[in-house]
Amino acid sequence: MKALTSLLLGFCLVAIGGAQAATTEVFKPANVDASPDLVISGVAPVARIAPFLQSFAEREGLVVRYTERMTNEVSRLATKEQGGSPDLILSSAMEQQLKLVNDGYAQPYRSDVIRELPEWAQWRDELFAYAFEPIVMVINRDLLAGAELPQSRDQLLQLIRAKGPLVDGKIGMTDIETVGLGYLTWAHDSRQSRTYGQLLETFGNAHLRLYPDSESVLQALLKGEIFIAYNLVGSYAFDFSNRYPWITTVMPADYTSVLMRTALIPKSAQHPEAARRFLDDLLSTSGQARLGEQTGLIPVISEAGSSDTFAFLREKSHGIFRPIPLSLQLLLQTDAEKRRLLLNEWRAAVYPQQKPATDSAP
Amino acid sequence: MSERRGSIRRQMLLMTSMVLVVVGGAALWSAHLYADRAARLSYDRLLRGAALQISENIHMLDGRVVADLPASAFDMLAMAPRDRAFYAIIDSGKRVVTGYSDLPSVPFDTLLEARDREGQFQPTLYDVDYRGEMVRFLGVAKRLIEADNAETVYIVVGQTLKARKALADEVGWFVLQFVALFFVLTLALLMLGIWRVLRPLNRLQHAIAERSPTDLQPLGNDVPREIAPLLDTLNYFMAQLQISLDRLKRFTAEAAHQIRTPLAGLHSQAQNALDEPDPEIRQRQLSHVLECSESLTRTVNQLLQHANLTHRFQSQPRVKVSLRQIATEVCRSLVIWGLDRGVELVYEGDEDVSVTGDAFALEQMIRNLVENAVKYSPAGSLVTLRLTAAGAGAELEVSDQGPGISDEEKPRVFERFYRSRNIDQPGSGLGLSIAREVAQYHGAELELYDNQPQGLVVRVRFNGEAIH
Repeated sequence: MKALTSLLLGFCLVAIGGAQAATTEVFKPANVDASPDLVISGVAPVARIAPFLQSFAEREGLVVRYTERMTNEVSRLATKEQGGSPDLILSSAMEQQLKLVNDGYAQPYRSDVIRELPEWAQWRDELFAYAFEPIVMVINRDLLAGAELPQSRDQLLQLIRAKGPLVDGKIGMTDIETVGLGYLTWAHDSRQSRTYGQLLETFGNAHLRLYPDSESVLQALLKGEIFIAYNLVGSYAFDFSNRYPWITTVMPADYTSVLMRTALIPKSAQHPEAARRFLDDLLSTSGQARLGEQTGLIPVISEAGSSDTFAFLREKSHGIFRPIPLSLQLLLQTDAEKRRLLLNEWRAAVYPQQKPATDSAP
Repeated sequence: MSERRGSIRRQMLLMTSMVLVVVGGAALWSAHLYADRAARLSYDRLLRGAALQISENIHMLDGRVVADLPASAFDMLAMAPRDRAFYAIIDSGKRVVTGYSDLPSVPFDTLLEARDREGQFQPTLYDVDYRGEMVRFLGVAKRLIEADNAETVYIVVGQTLKARKALADEVGWFVLQFVALFFVLTLALLMLGIWRVLRPLNRLQHAIAERSPTDLQPLGNDVPREIAPLLDTLNYFMAQLQISLDRLKRFTAEAAHQIRTPLAGLHSQAQNALDEPDPEIRQRQLSHVLECSESLTRTVNQLLQHANLTHRFQSQPRVKVSLRQIATEVCRSLVIWGLDRGVELVYEGDEDVSVTGDAFALEQMIRNLVENAVKYSPAGSLVTLRLTAAGAGAELEVSDQGPGISDEEKPRVFERFYRSRNIDQPGSGLGLSIAREVAQYHGAELELYDNQPQGLVVRVRFNGEAIH
């Protein structure tokens, strides 16, 4: 990644932990050494978001600290009292972000930039969408051996049935019990797809493999651990398939779920002014363009000029986009009972020998 | 000018504006109430719908409450796009099955008691401050039955009030615009209407202003019914003025003639006397000059008296005067003068009659009548002044035993300066004319009758209006 090398000057690695531990990096303008002016917690990997943060730090002359955390951890931080909470939360877990706002942990912000945002890209002036994320399936072409590349869920199911033992243990997903994005997209599938039941059954029979995050799934695909990955974040997947030609990213033609990466300022933020400046930059036309260029994320404002806009995605696929709306409907995905029922189904299919859990996992 | 009572236009505008403001205010207030109510009802309906959908998806399974929340319930709540929503499903042990575990003031007892006639649970609505914002909650109970188990659960759904307020504000704003437009339009129409109504008055004013001072022709009558009486009065007034002017013109001409002729006579007689050598003749001529000047003096006096009366009629207010008092005073003052001429003056009448009018004018009238009667009476005769109340009115009679006036002459004696040909008494010919003007001023009629066996009766008949 060229982005990675270019930012090495700007940040220093503070902590590296295991899968559960937080990774923190500090971005600062040249010749400045101070305590952070802006503390951001996010789900996106540091390496991916770093170029944008570095350019922001240099433009605004601010010291920015970014900590990469697990989805649930990020949400928990926002509910902390003064001191414990970051100044800005960037997350792809729309439903948890929405619940934070609904429960009154976010503070509203309105500016000229935010007024320009489309209605669907924000909620209550407290939650702001800054990037699209199509949910895709990724396939290792080696598996096909002359067979057609599946373009929809139906075709994917046919392929799995046709390949039989060849794909046993070779299908991968993020673990929906621990990965917020996995649960959200799976729950969305359960509402959208008539093939949902068949998917669940087929995945269960084929001994679905579960991974702690999207990057791990892609790594497994690269290593040949799995041939098929389902419900992955589009921006990572396209990045990946661009680099490895034998790996193909497919936006299912029956429908493609689209989620939004969102930002909010917690009520107990210590540097809300800096957070507002970051939001204004992130959501401005130029900021969106830089976001597209520097991180590969898909900006929500189509005029951003990047080639990876929503319009570009539309051209890529003949399918239907089914966006997950930034609205109260997401509250259902945070319901404990709903989660218990969905996970029961999931476990019954994925771990057939175990008894269904009686309580929700997290 | 400073006592003008303000403008009709301004008063009408003020009144109608006040009415409009009151009506507009009432409309706004009731629209505000209605908008609040409509917003509350419609969003309460959303809450009810969401609670109902949630309620339908709660079941008992193996003795456990299972709530499979439907997406449609949240879709419904999302119709208030900027409002936060809260919900909870609580079992009979007040344990939260799912949802928010800290919802405040859930009225469990009320929810249990709220049933319709068939025993179905009815929803209860209440407002509580929750998580820093006012929230409208709807709670409803549900009875779950599974084989031997029975359980009551409570469903609580709440939403903040942004959408309600926005809807109420929108309706209010719409009504405000409507009322403002209505106000402006109505005011414009009213101003047009007032201008149209007042236009005849302006026209009238212009018509009068453009006239020459001597033009007393009646004004045209193309005015609304309400203004017609004003126009009639104005026209009547001008007609009166015309009559007075005519009378004055005639009088001036007559007076000039009456004075110029004797003056010319006087002048020539005095000239003759100056040239006359015979002292006896000159003496006769001089005494004739004296007679003529006496006659002229009388004429001038009566003319002045007449002018004085005319002025009084126009300037003096009418007061209550006693006819009897005036009549007796006139008799008293003339009785000696009558006796000198061998005429006895008698007053008859016990009743007192009061009229509204001018005492001086009445006295002049009675005096003229009595003097006339005495003048034309032969010595040893009787002049009677009689005052009687006749029905609602009163009659004043002066009767003499003189030569009387023939029927042909009777209408003519009221003309100014008319003098009976067969009379040798000196006089100006104004006495009866003045008397009749005074009578007319008091609304009375002056009539002449023959006395029996001979003589004249002058009767002044006051009608009821002037009598007290």
